[in-house]
Amino acid sequence: MHFLYLKNNYSLFSFLLIPLLCLWNPIWLSVMGVQPYWPIFWLLPWAILNGPTNGLIIGFIIGVILDSINNDIYTQVPGLLVCGFWFGKLDKLENRYQYGLVASLGSFICGFIYFFQVMLNNYHKNPDWLFSFALKNIFGQILLTGLFAPVLSIALYGLFRNKFKRNPF
Amino acid sequence: MNKLRRITSYRWWNNKNLWFLFIFLLLIISIRFSKSLIYRDIYYFLSKPFWPGQFQREILLKSHDKELNIKLKQLEKDNLRLRSLLSLKRTTDDFKIDSSVISRNTGSWWRKIILNKGAKNGVKIGDAVVGPGGLIGLIDDVSMLTSSVKLLTSTESQVGAWVQRINIHGLLQGVGSDSPKLIFYARDIDIKVGDLILSSPASTLLPPNIPIGIIESIDQDLRSTTIANVQLLAKPQAIDWVQILKTKI
Repeated sequence: MHFLYLKNNYSLFSFLLIPLLCLWNPIWLSVMGVQPYWPIFWLLPWAILNGPTNGLIIGFIIGVILDSINNDIYTQVPGLLVCGFWFGKLDKLENRYQYGLVASLGSFICGFIYFFQVMLNNYHKNPDWLFSFALKNIFGQILLTGLFAPVLSIALYGLFRNKFKRNPF
Repeated sequence: MNKLRRITSYRWWNNKNLWFLFIFLLLIISIRFSKSLIYRDIYYFLSKPFWPGQFQREILLKSHDKELNIKLKQLEKDNLRLRSLLSLKRTTDDFKIDSSVISRNTGSWWRKIILNKGAKNGVKIGDAVVGPGGLIGLIDDVSMLTSSVKLLTSTESQVGAWVQRINIHGLLQGVGSDSPKLIFYARDIDIKVGDLILSSPASTLLPPNIPIGIIESIDQDLRSTTIANVQLLAKPQAIDWVQILKTKI
């Protein structure tokens, strides 16, 4: 009974893991201290199966939760909204490499939007200082997200597929 | 029978006693004029087996430590009294909370660590956090059981700092990298690579004189500022235990 409940709610339980992973930040999975962008791994298969509208909503929800964890003046919501909508527009991806590529692009979108906010807030200081740090963060995240997505996102897609049917809207 | 008579005459240098006396006097004079250096060195070796043991030395050192501690406590008391008169921040050993790092994000956009002590333990927003070596950041958010530390390397971090050697204040600004910038709003300041950076003794945000870092390079730009890159003494990416300093005015 409990197992069936778990099986029917894979998406919910795996969703709850996102903030925990963001808090945990295993250092052995980092490159130059940069971690993969964890929400993308979950959002990509979920939005593919549930469509752009649901992707947009769940992107917003994840963004709000992550903002509350980081308690920063910048927000991750816009990047995740764009990614949720875009991933929802995609049909089933053909192979592992496409998962890696799409996840990398999603990570780039989120990283760039976040960096744009940092720049806007720091334009009166010396923004040149921020470029090297931003490049390191964005490309570190792209690399790691693209590397792990073919494994993690495909595994999650397999789990979610049994529960959801494609919603074209 | 002719008695052979030995014909001799007295010569003083033939007198052994006189030679002995002469050498003895020479020795005394040399000792006198050398201020008995040789004599003392000889005494050093002769007296070595009879020197006082290590035990007495330890007693002396301990008493010296006690004397210094008494002086230190007296100075600390004076310092606290004067700081309270000036309404500046102060901290004592009674207001330190040991805490361990339970989450660490030190190399990405979000440069924060989370500690396992929160409002329940008396942690408040704005408390300073020090690790082995020096200051690592300030508490920026507190829950019931945990608290979040905004690291000095975060782009949102700005604290006043003080160069000990030349007694000048600057603004320590995090730029997202591991080396924050120390900004002086003046040109031609006599800062040097290797200068020690402390928290400002006149700060109303931080406890005074906490080591922060060391200047690793200096940028002279065309504007009216001098900017130095600071290497932090405490490395948040490698720290597991920290102390939260409860500051009081």
